[in-house]
Amino acid sequence: MSNNADALDSLMQAARGGDQGAYRQFLAEATGRVRAMLARKIGNDSELEDVLQECLIALHEKRHTLDPDRPVGPWMYAIANYKLVDHWRKRGRSKVVLDDEADMAVDADSFAQVDIAALLSELPEAQAEAIRMTHIEGMTNKEAATRIGIGTSAMKLRVHRGMLRLKEIVEEQDQ
Amino acid sequence: MTDTQSLIDQLAQESALPARNPLSLFALPIIAVIALCAVGVVLAFSDPFLSVELYGWGPMLVKWGFSMSLLLLCAAALWILGKPGRRSRWAMAAVALPFVPVAALLAFELAIIGPNVAGETWAQCLTAMAVMSPLAFGGAVFAMRALAPTNLKRSGAVAGLFGGAVAMTAYAPFCPEIGMGYMVVFYCLPMLAMTLIGWLTGPKLLRW
Repeated sequence: MSNNADALDSLMQAARGGDQGAYRQFLAEATGRVRAMLARKIGNDSELEDVLQECLIALHEKRHTLDPDRPVGPWMYAIANYKLVDHWRKRGRSKVVLDDEADMAVDADSFAQVDIAALLSELPEAQAEAIRMTHIEGMTNKEAATRIGIGTSAMKLRVHRGMLRLKEIVEEQDQ
Repeated sequence: MTDTQSLIDQLAQESALPARNPLSLFALPIIAVIALCAVGVVLAFSDPFLSVELYGWGPMLVKWGFSMSLLLLCAAALWILGKPGRRSRWAMAAVALPFVPVAALLAFELAIIGPNVAGETWAQCLTAMAVMSPLAFGGAVFAMRALAPTNLKRSGAVAGLFGGAVAMTAYAPFCPEIGMGYMVVFYCLPMLAMTLIGWLTGPKLLRW
């Protein structure tokens, strides 16, 4: 970690000295570090890349707030964390609201006449796995999240998105 | 090539050197609102430093000592809060420091002469605080938006306190009142109200 932080510092220093290649390397290194941080917090979800790109743009646009004599790491992670929280806040205000009870309270007959395995195969593997664990094996979101090593929020999101997609697929098949 | 990779390529085409000087971006709105409030009170009120003629420099120094130290500490705290990754707890503690001597002087006044919040010019004081505090708060918000605050409630609260400190600094020479009780009720409480407004509105106004 400290080596990576040092690498970021020296790359940024070189970049500020006019080395454009160093700036590209800095952004690439920062991408790796921020991606790892986001993956720990939200899992390897489809939204990870969106948040990551928002973080990169913010790092670039707010680079004037990095003092030359201070390490890059705390600055970079503070911005990444802020962007992640902001992303969650935006999502909270959008139509996509995580609702455990609604997602868990799917009527058992809803999918009685359909081939569950076939349906799940149409979902991204991460969402299918999340639904398998929570709706078929009966785990809670927290238990399922712990088993595969992601955050509970990330698990809720996977289940929620998976359930929405399943509903769409069933409705398409009914028409 | 992934979207993220192409984004990196796109960003890397620009210089790593910031195009803008953060200090000037931050300081300009701060200085502008201070100047605006100073000019405003000169145009709107008369008889500056009446309290100095009547009672000497003591009461004036107490007021300005409090408001100017608060103004400077708030500006420093805002600067730190606008830099991601900087620890801001000590800066938050520092902005509370000017209230300590005020509380001590108030306790002293209460012990000697009892509660004393009376003052003929209270309406004028409150009006000045009510007009200038939001104006200076706006300047602080504008200054902070040039930086990258990551704790928006805390930043908003300090911006609100800054607004109150600027208003008091500008208006204090025109205030003939000298009681500590008066100062607490008609200056400190409006400042704290502005701080609360800043704390509540910070997340909306400072989001970036």
